Amino acid sequence: MSQELGSLLSKKLESESIFGEIINLEPLTGGASKEIWKFEVKLKDKSEKYILRKGSGIEGPLAIKTSDEALIQKTVRKFGALVPEIISVSSLSEPLGDSYIMKFVEGETIARKILRDTEYKNALQNLAFECGQSIAKIHQTDIAELSFLPKKTVKEQLSDLYETYTVFNQPSPVFEYTYLWLKEQNFGDIDDALVHGDFRLGNIIVNQDGLQSIIDWELAHVGNPLQDLGWICGNSWRFGNTDKVVGGFGDLKDLLDGYNTVSEYQVDKEIVKAWQVFGTFRWGVICLIQASAYLNGTINSVEKAAIGRRVSETEIDIVDLLFLGGR
Amino acid sequence: MIFDRPDSVELLNAVNHFLNEKIKDEVPPHLAFKLRIVENVLNIVSREMALGEKLSNDVVKDLRELIETDTANIKDLALLIKEEKLDLQNEDLKNLLVKLSKNKITVDNPNYSTLKKLVD
Repeated sequence: MSQELGSLLSKKLESESIFGEIINLEPLTGGASKEIWKFEVKLKDKSEKYILRKGSGIEGPLAIKTSDEALIQKTVRKFGALVPEIISVSSLSEPLGDSYIMKFVEGETIARKILRDTEYKNALQNLAFECGQSIAKIHQTDIAELSFLPKKTVKEQLSDLYETYTVFNQPSPVFEYTYLWLKEQNFGDIDDALVHGDFRLGNIIVNQDGLQSIIDWELAHVGNPLQDLGWICGNSWRFGNTDKVVGGFGDLKDLLDGYNTVSEYQVDKEIVKAWQVFGTFRWGVICLIQASAYLNGTINSVEKAAIGRRVSETEIDIVDLLFLGGR
Repeated sequence: MIFDRPDSVELLNAVNHFLNEKIKDEVPPHLAFKLRIVENVLNIVSREMALGEKLSNDVVKDLRELIETDTANIKDLALLIKEEKLDLQNEDLKNLLVKLSKNKITVDNPNYSTLKKLVD
């Protein structure tokens, strides 16, 4: 398979005037829904590293097409956000399928390594602040250039999530309660902006100097941007470090201070909490969506099957936040 | 049960031990990640077989006390909340949702940070 893929990559890169032998092509551990390959192109006197991100070409209930992710990365790069440079984009009808090639950025994405290994200790000190800054830069992107993206109000997003949950016919008392609670919350009065939609460890590249790049834009959309601030505070993305509210490594104050170096919007902490519950519910519904691909026979994958049993993680996080003083 | 030992849980534990001790170091990194998921799945099945009935009954008992019927199940509870037929501020309801969530995660992922925090 990788030999065939290598020749497809070679042809695609030739169309971008990059000529060289494809070497060291290897699959990387990606998200549950994407194929990710790392490879090098051997040029005359050096070799350059690249990443191929390849999707199924199908837009999910929340996810956009992989080739559209590339268009977002190109746009946000112009507005100063840290993203890998896009080299080539392929549509579903091309031999390479719904995918794109970008430059490889050195660093680490695996959350547990970043949180555990001593080489990232210094980087972690300032990472919440840097994430706040980066999130604000993403939110400053001119959305007029991203008219292909879905645009949703909070109310629409919430009812979409609820509708999606009900389709699976697996009634959850906690999710029913959560939906009623969320409908009563204030999510902040702020202009629509580009929302990354999945900004957290795992989707950012970090090295010993700090944040290097933001990847995985498949849940991007246009809407209330404060969602990104609540999302990274969800316990699902603290990877066991529950005491560190921001991504398992930082404090909310640092995230918001970083945000305010770019944006003047003063974020109320109660609003972050509402978004945190929203995000946890959203992650629960995403787990249901992923598991349904296994349950309805579309994809026979043990990862997809297993993720169905992660819904209960979101339920306990929500009852902790709503009833037990969790933060 | 008419079956001999090892029982189903013991069989699963043997498979898990084999994967962990003999296979884990032999597979390339991208499959090692999947192998960890396989081990997790086997552990869920094993815990559900050992504890599932007791943890479920424990929740259903409280549920039936709360809504005073002998036949109610979790689906009924979801519907009663959806239709706002229960007082959402009722402490017994909140406690029931906490117990339900704790009991589910006890099978699905007993090392989950929030459960550990709440138990400590």
